[in-house]
Amino acid sequence: MKLLKLLLLPYMAAVIAGAFLWVEPAEGFIGESSRIVFFHVPCAWTAALAFVVAAAYSLAYLVRRNPRSDRIAEAAVRLGLLFAVLTIVTGSVFAKIMWGAYWNWDPRQSSYLLLIFLYAAYLFLRAAIDDPERRARIGAAYALFAAVLMPFLVFVAPRVTESLHPQTVINTEGKILMDTPTKTIFFAGLVGFTALFLWLLEIETRLGGIRRRGGAGRPLGIPASN
Amino acid sequence: MTESAPRLGFFARAWTVCAKDAAQELRRRVAAASVFFFAATSLALVSFAIGPFGLPPDVRGRVDASLVWIILFFSAATGLPRAFVREEETGTGLALRKLVPGVVVLAGKALFNFALFLAIAALSVPAFALLLEWRIGSPAALAAVVFLGGWGLAVVSTFLSALVARGGQRNVLFVVVSFPLLVPLLLPAIAATIEASEGSFAWTPLRVLVAYDGAATSAAYLLASAAWED
Repeated sequence: MKLLKLLLLPYMAAVIAGAFLWVEPAEGFIGESSRIVFFHVPCAWTAALAFVVAAAYSLAYLVRRNPRSDRIAEAAVRLGLLFAVLTIVTGSVFAKIMWGAYWNWDPRQSSYLLLIFLYAAYLFLRAAIDDPERRARIGAAYALFAAVLMPFLVFVAPRVTESLHPQTVINTEGKILMDTPTKTIFFAGLVGFTALFLWLLEIETRLGGIRRRGGAGRPLGIPASN
Repeated sequence: MTESAPRLGFFARAWTVCAKDAAQELRRRVAAASVFFFAATSLALVSFAIGPFGLPPDVRGRVDASLVWIILFFSAATGLPRAFVREEETGTGLALRKLVPGVVVLAGKALFNFALFLAIAALSVPAFALLLEWRIGSPAALAAVVFLGGWGLAVVSTFLSALVARGGQRNVLFVVVSFPLLVPLLLPAIAATIEASEGSFAWTPLRVLVAYDGAATSAAYLLASAAWED
């Protein structure tokens, strides 16, 4: 396991080098902007994966009431927020080059921003509850409820309205329109980002345990009194 | 020898909770009246700011539909979160928790919130149409949108009210947790309202509303005990 973690650094370095040096920029995009796909899409994928992991461990907490499941769920939400912010930032850089402004109120941009609000609310909700058992239970219920309604925000709402966003990686015909080098680096990036997330999740879960043992269970610093 | 009371079914017990909330609201009147007052104030504000001639005709349908739902959403947001918060404030939460299963309480309070929303809509929408000369091409389509949108709004608000009821900063917290979850409901509701004002049923947004309502109701049903019971 330790060896895999050590290998992740050269692996990600190779993915970044490949994204800039091996792959040709795609047609129909200004300058080098198409290279953002190797960073933007894996960030979005990792954020979605993190929120799914949070939902799975929330369900596990409600079934077994094991505090470790709650710690993992909370850590996954924190990391999901980090990757969602990176998705917004990389998307905004692309938007500035292609559409002339960092923020265009495009349905996909807006829906991802709301996704950040959705899971930031999870942390606010937890921070407002004093009792650790109740905090974990209410947090788990919210995370599961949010996971059920999240697809409407991320997948349905942007499709109800017109969008400037380029075609998604898997298009409406179910095909991936990429040449072999692009596809190779793209999927290598997805694997790398996923591995990075799993590593960070382990660290953040351990940190969560240390924080709780130290009595710092209120990371946002919001007082519980009304 | 005393006979035990007949055991009521799920819907009968939910209806009892709904009737209890309605009786409480009718007795105090302040909360319900403030919701309607908020709706009337926002309506007057919109009417002053825009008026019937303030918008070009090509954007009027879109803007009017958005304003109607903004008024409905914020008016409802002042009243719907009180469902569980009131129980904690009056100290009746513990008794309710011991006597009635969480899912029944949630269903009863969602029913009451839905009725409250329909009452707000029944007053606000015709008033909006009258004050801003908003022509509704298909009242049946608009009624379907209000009904479906209202149910989703009531269920999600009631569930979230249960979550925030025993937290600190309840009112602020409710706005923080509810807004991102209700946007996927409001967007198709506005899209369907635009179509309804033009005289047609917008089937795609209506189907999205049905799916959203189904998902929210199922999730709330399954998670009710985790949200409310100890």
